Amino acid sequence: MSEQREIPPPVDQVVEPVIRLDKASRWFGNIVAVSDVSFSIGPGIVGLLGPNGAGKSTILQMVAGFLKPSSGSVLVRGRSPWRNEELFRYTGLVPEREAIYPFLTGYEFVLLNARLHKLPNPKEATARAIRMVELEEAQHRATGGYSKGMKQRVKLATALVHDPPLLLLDEPFNGVDPAQRLHMMGILRDLAAAGGTIVFSSHILEEVERLADNVLVIVSGRLAASGDFHRIRRLMTDRPHTFVIRSNDNRRLAAALVEMQCVRGVELIDGGLSVRASDFGAFTLGVPLVARDTGVTLYEFVPADQSLESVFSYLVNR
Amino acid sequence: MNREILVLSLRQLLGRRRTFALIALALLPLLVALVFRTGNADTDPVDWTANALLNGLIVTTLLPLVTLVLSTTSLGMEIEDGTIVYLLSKPLSRARVITAKLAASWLPAAALVSLSAASSGAIALQGAEPTLFVAFVIAAAFGALAYSSVFLLLSLLTSRALVIGLIYVFIWEGIVTELFTGTRILSVRQYTLGVADLLTDTRKFEAHLDGAVALALMVIVTAGVVAFTIRRLNRFETRTVF
Repeated sequence: MSEQREIPPPVDQVVEPVIRLDKASRWFGNIVAVSDVSFSIGPGIVGLLGPNGAGKSTILQMVAGFLKPSSGSVLVRGRSPWRNEELFRYTGLVPEREAIYPFLTGYEFVLLNARLHKLPNPKEATARAIRMVELEEAQHRATGGYSKGMKQRVKLATALVHDPPLLLLDEPFNGVDPAQRLHMMGILRDLAAAGGTIVFSSHILEEVERLADNVLVIVSGRLAASGDFHRIRRLMTDRPHTFVIRSNDNRRLAAALVEMQCVRGVELIDGGLSVRASDFGAFTLGVPLVARDTGVTLYEFVPADQSLESVFSYLVNR
Repeated sequence: MNREILVLSLRQLLGRRRTFALIALALLPLLVALVFRTGNADTDPVDWTANALLNGLIVTTLLPLVTLVLSTTSLGMEIEDGTIVYLLSKPLSRARVITAKLAASWLPAAALVSLSAASSGAIALQGAEPTLFVAFVIAAAFGALAYSSVFLLLSLLTSRALVIGLIYVFIWEGIVTELFTGTRILSVRQYTLGVADLLTDTRKFEAHLDGAVALALMVIVTAGVVAFTIRRLNRFETRTVF
C-alpha cells in the first residue's frame, strides 16, 4: 500500500480529463436530480460528497452510461458513455445496491464478469482480482452467505477483474468494517498511484477526507463546492456556527461572550444562550476561559448545527 | 446470444421454488390422462385428447403459465434485484443479452410443456392418431418461443409483468378473442393452435386461424417483439438499479 500520495491537480484545472461534465442536468418528471453540473476529472481519487438524495448516484450513473443527461453533456475519455458499451472495457463499476447472484460462489461471480468482458485468460484475472480484495478464503462459498463487507469486496473484485483505468464506486464503504475499509482504501490508493481514475460517492465526511485527493460537494443536485479536501474543510469550518450554552448565570456569561472577537451574536433562549460565532476553533477554545474568568459554571456547551445537512446547506447558500 | 448469460439465467431459474411448482403443474396433464384412460370408456380418445387435454389444458393453461413465470423471472427479477447492472456494464451488445435471456426462458418452458404434451398425449391416445400429439408438441415449442418473447418484453416494460401477463392470458386470450373473432390475430394461443392444426391430419380438431397464417403471424410477432425488446434495452435507464 502506498502511504505517500501525489496530489493531482484540482478538479477544475484538469488539462486532459478522463471525465467531463458540461452543464449536465438530469430530471425525472418534475424532479430535478442533477442541475447544471460542470466539472472535469483526471487521474487520481475524487470523492463525490453529499447527503443522501443529493444526486451523487445520478451523476455516477450518467458517467457510467446508464442514464442519459436531460441537458448538457457527459463525456468519458472524450466520448459519450450513453449507449456506448465499448466504454465498459475501460470502466469498472461498484454499484451501491447489495444484490448479487446468491447461488454463485465468489469465484464464479468474478469469473462470470471476467468472461463477460471476454478477457483472454479469465481464470487468471479472476484469481488476481480475488487476491487483491483478499477474499481467497471465502471464494468458494456461495455469495448468498457473505457478510455485507464481503459482498462489497467481491463487488470490487468484479469491477477490478478487467483492470480498468476508470473505477466508479457508489457508496463503496457502506457496511464495511474498519479493517476492511482500510484495506479497500489501500487498494484504491494503489490503483490511483498507478495512474487510475477513481470516483467514489459518500455521504460521510471522514471517508472522503481519508481517501480523496479532490472533492466534489453535491447538494440538491448542484455542485456546491469543489477542490482539494483542505479547501472544502476550510469552507466548512470557517462558516458561522451556532452553539447552545447553558450555565448557572446566562446573563453574565452573555455579557462576557459579546466581548469575544469571533462572536457574531448572542441571544437569550429558554434556560440558556444561543451564540453565533465565526471561528469554530477560537470560540470553542475561548468559551471555557471566559467562563472561568467570569466565575460562571458551564452546564452545557453544544454546537446546534453540526449535522452534515446544515454544513452542506451552508456551502450551497454561501 | 451470450453463453455465460444463458447458463447464469438457467441456474437462476432452476434454483427457484416457483420452478418446482411449474414442474408439478406440468405433471397434472399426465395425471388427468391417466384418470381418463381408466374411467371414460364411452368418450372418443382422439376427440378428448385433442380438445380437452392438448388444447384445453396444455395450450390454454400450462403453456402460458409456464412461459409467463419463467420469462418474467428471467429478466424481471434481475431488474428488480439490480443484478442486471452486472450484465449491462460489459462491452456486450444488448441484443446478445436479450437473446440469451429469451433462450433461458424458452428452453426450459418448451421442454417442460412439450414433455408434458408428449407424455400425457401418449397415455391418452394409446397409439391412436400419433400425428396429433406430435403436432401439439411441436406447436407448443413454437408457442413457448412466442409467449416467452412477449412476456420478456413485458418484464422490461413494467414491474407488474406477472399480473399483466395473467390478464393477457385469461382476459384477452380467454374471453376477448372468444367474443370478438377479429382479435384472434393478436393471440399467441390462437397461433399455437393454428400451427398444431397445420401439422396434424386429424379432423377431430380445428383451429380458428388458418395454419399458414398462424405460423406467419407467430414468426412476425415473435421477431417484431424481440427486435422491440432489444431496442428498449438499448435505451434502458437503470435509475433504480445502480
